[in-house]
Amino acid sequence: MVPLRDRTASAELAPGLLEACRAGDREAFRVLYDVYKDRVYSIALYFFQGDQTSAADITQQVFLKLITTIPQFKGDSAFSTWLYRLVVNACQDATRRRKHTLAGTVEDLTVPGSQEEDLVRTQVSRSIQDAIASLPPKLRMAVLLRYFDDLSYEQMAEALHCSMGTVASRLSRGHRMLAERLQSLRGRR
Amino acid sequence: MTLFSRHVTDQLSAHIHGQLSPRETQRFERHLSECEQCRAHLDQVTFGADILEEVQIARAPEAIWNAIEAGLNQAPASRRWPLAAAALAATMLAAIVCWVELRAPAAQWNVVRIHGTQQMTGRVGPGDWIETDASTRAVVSVGVIGKVEVAGNTRVGVVAARPGEHRLALRRGRIHATITAPPRLFFVDTAAGTAIDLGCEYSLETDEEGSGLLQVTSGWVEFQWGDLHSLVPAGASCRTTRDGPGIPYFDDAPDVLKQVFAEGASRQLDTVLAAARIRDSLTLWHLLMRVGPAERERVFSRMAALSPVPAGVTRELVLKLDAPTLARWKDELAWTW
Repeated sequence: MVPLRDRTASAELAPGLLEACRAGDREAFRVLYDVYKDRVYSIALYFFQGDQTSAADITQQVFLKLITTIPQFKGDSAFSTWLYRLVVNACQDATRRRKHTLAGTVEDLTVPGSQEEDLVRTQVSRSIQDAIASLPPKLRMAVLLRYFDDLSYEQMAEALHCSMGTVASRLSRGHRMLAERLQSLRGRR
Repeated sequence: MTLFSRHVTDQLSAHIHGQLSPRETQRFERHLSECEQCRAHLDQVTFGADILEEVQIARAPEAIWNAIEAGLNQAPASRRWPLAAAALAATMLAAIVCWVELRAPAAQWNVVRIHGTQQMTGRVGPGDWIETDASTRAVVSVGVIGKVEVAGNTRVGVVAARPGEHRLALRRGRIHATITAPPRLFFVDTAAGTAIDLGCEYSLETDEEGSGLLQVTSGWVEFQWGDLHSLVPAGASCRTTRDGPGIPYFDDAPDVLKQVFAEGASRQLDTVLAAARIRDSLTLWHLLMRVGPAERERVFSRMAALSPVPAGVTRELVLKLDAPTLARWKDELAWTW
């Protein structure tokens, strides 16, 4: 399995792509969408407990917003930071709209294997998903931003509108809570 | 306690992610060598971080791009591709956008009038009014973005029916709007100001003087009157008067808050502040901008006591009503709203 942090989205951006998007090149925007769509979708999917409908809605909203605002992106910060700020805002707004969190079923994230292996992987995957979903929203978003793209603490701080110290604190608390909730998986590893 | 003896619990993730400076790392490791508790916590954080490596990226369904493309094609002309914005001076762009918006053809919306068990279907467009009596109600389809239910004894008119602007005027009575569109496409004008949809469901009632109530059941509504803005999230309400929107409050707020902000009762500021919960920072955040400097300081102190003030938000800037600072604080507080 390839660790997520080895697959940094911003490293996949071709030179001039953002410029083309700013100039209104629809094909360029499709390329940009392809680079980030899975990460944005995954963050929303895990943020909303595997609810695929919400994840799709958030992804759509984020990229529609991106299209209309990308001319304002001047490159003062990393593009990823800017995009993930939209994701954070969209998830916040959706959280407010949903008075109750919907329980969903996470997509099949397992790789092919024997039926028994698949079952174990699915159970582990769901345990992790449930543990992430049980985190308070602020800690959950920090954890997801860290693991679905290789954002530095500085970039995360910008995306989350908080200090780097707060990012460090939220991640530490989030990791500890996950460890407590997934204690049963320790022996397996 | 010296700096070196402080626990490093909050730095554990930064350590394993290599985000500490050499000096911080040295301090961290020195503390760790002497502190069993932090070593145990590091073990937990390391395990928590390791197990997240098993999280895999999910594939976004292709249908999402199809929906985005459909959204682009339905967007107002000013948003259509190619966006020439980058190539145009801002003033020229503004002029073109206005011109395109004004020339966009007005649509007609379906309306169903309901009288008892009888239903009549019709069409309304800009300039048309819908008026119900005590025994009549109506349902208006707002283009493709949602619907508005019109209660009895209500007078509501269609002001604009363009792709980029769906606008009603509510003279009196009550409507319930359910909108599934990007923010700022649906507006309702009343004598107290304009309710701006930010993607939501809400009820709005008013009389001809502007006295009324906005109740949001999903998403957000911004109510604006001149420079006066009220942001109302799901589960909250906001009174309106001819002077504009009041201060929003959660429907489950303590009685003291509801008596003041829903019923207009007079109470000591300290009584209101003491009753406020963390969630009521919604009300206190708006209150900051509606009170004088002396009271503002007391509101700030109560908010700071309820929830840590985030980085970059200082007492001085808040008391000066610095707009970016207030926006930053709101973004942070909004996690609790």
